[in-house]
Amino acid sequence: MATDAQRKANLRTGWILAGLAALFGVGFVVRIIVFGG
Amino acid sequence: MSAVLPHPGDHAHDDHHAQPHGWRRWLFATNHKDIGTMYLLFSFTMFMIGGVLALLIRSELFQPGLQFVNPELFNQFTTMHGLIMVFGAIMPAFVGFANWMIPLQIGASDMAFARMNNLSFWLLIPAALMLAGSFFMPGGAPAAGWTIYAPLTMQMGPSMDAGIFALHILGASSIMGSINIIVTILNMRAPGMTLMKMPLFAWTWLITAFLLIAVMPVLAGAITMTLTDRHFGTSFFNPAGGGDPIMYQHIFWFFGHPEVYIMILPAFGIISAIVPAFARKKLFGYASMVYATASIAILSFIVWAHHMYTTGMPVTGQLFFMYATMLIAVPTGVKIFNWIATMWKGSMTFETPMLWAVGFIFVFTMGGFTGLILAMAPIDIQLQDTYYVVAHFHYVLVAGSLYAMFAGVYYWGPKWTGVMYSETRGKIHFWGSLIFFNITFFPMHFLGLAGMPRRYADYPMQFADFNMWATIGAFGFGLMQVYFFLFVVLPMMRGQGAPAPQKPWEGAEGLEWEVPSPAPWHTFENPPKLDATATRVVG
Repeated sequence: MATDAQRKANLRTGWILAGLAALFGVGFVVRIIVFGG
Repeated sequence: MSAVLPHPGDHAHDDHHAQPHGWRRWLFATNHKDIGTMYLLFSFTMFMIGGVLALLIRSELFQPGLQFVNPELFNQFTTMHGLIMVFGAIMPAFVGFANWMIPLQIGASDMAFARMNNLSFWLLIPAALMLAGSFFMPGGAPAAGWTIYAPLTMQMGPSMDAGIFALHILGASSIMGSINIIVTILNMRAPGMTLMKMPLFAWTWLITAFLLIAVMPVLAGAITMTLTDRHFGTSFFNPAGGGDPIMYQHIFWFFGHPEVYIMILPAFGIISAIVPAFARKKLFGYASMVYATASIAILSFIVWAHHMYTTGMPVTGQLFFMYATMLIAVPTGVKIFNWIATMWKGSMTFETPMLWAVGFIFVFTMGGFTGLILAMAPIDIQLQDTYYVVAHFHYVLVAGSLYAMFAGVYYWGPKWTGVMYSETRGKIHFWGSLIFFNITFFPMHFLGLAGMPRRYADYPMQFADFNMWATIGAFGFGLMQVYFFLFVVLPMMRGQGAPAPQKPWEGAEGLEWEVPSPAPWHTFENPPKLDATATRVVG
């Protein structure tokens, strides 16, 4: 079973990765809208 | 020595440990093995649906002229075959393998986010229903190719919106699955399981998951822009409004080429587990395998425009993408040579998993070589959108990804079900599939070299013979997969066959072989103590 510390670490890593995915998606679209193809 | 805790019933005081029964077990599943099983069954179902579409395509192409379907429906078949096989069959199947095997291989009790794991799986169902159901929408299913190129996407009916929504959902599922896999591998390994002692399958999935996180949002962005072009008056890709359809191709293939490696890197991991087990030797060049996998992943981001040589890009661009693509042959070659070096002077036996693994190495390499040929801009300009390309990517995705999955099912199936499959049936499945696969796709090289374009429902008489052979081979290949389901998968799922020992393969190494067969519902609930190689539990 995961310990509380492990759960916290899991959540932290998970949010970092989710943020990275959001950054790639939104960043890509914003780049194209602002700077064109 | 087993690290498995006593029977789950012993922990009935704790709801988390009680194994639910009936439909609740599956609908509310948080156990990585149950979710892995659901992923594998779902992907096999989608594989059969995509296979039926393939056979409809091949039936139409059995003879010149239009026999069964009109060209519009034919385009829908090719589009949906591609989308279903890529997003519904191959990708979820490897996630199924990851769910089953990664926690077992690294000594973790489960995936890091068990409930998100459940959501990742159940999102697939509405997406699949939407994709398959689009055939019944006005105008039929999407018919813009699996690449959903603009401006064709502007001309499609409402099914295009359903397709885009389905891809969004599948993408969200993939991203959640990837986050789960990365966090599980980084945070939940048993003490002593250092990264460089991890089984290659876990390594390949770690790298694949990073690829997915990087490129799935890009696809989501591209198809969202397609959606706004269709309905909200934007003109990102619509040339009628000043948009640039070539830009769509650049964005799509920035996702699409890493996607190719997303579909093959986990296959490399499976083969890297099987070859040492049946050669009874350690994997040759473990570290170089890890670095080669990472190199392939990095290079996959700088080669996308080799899919676009005919769009009129400058010669310097062609040269860059040509050389960058050819560079991928180096780490891929490292892998092929390492597998051969592992087999070299090994004490080899050829049970069914090894047959599939050797078949993979041989036939996938053929697909790799045709990939090198297509990487060369002057040749590719001649062969663009011909059956040579169709032959190439089926040698990579069928003889690559699918063969590795079959190898994995035969190799780990006894651990999943507790039942040994029939070797005779496994070998019939392998040899039948190998022969029919080559009858189907080998002639396509000649068709492509002779100039037959892909995605056409009809063709001139000169292509008739090879097309006839390809169709016969396709039906034989399809039949072998029905045989596999009826005579290998179903008996194993029903428990019919010899009981599987804890470690059915003499030369196999890894923590998955430290738990009984079938693997109990809960494993490694307390972190196991590992030996120095991190392949055995010592306490």
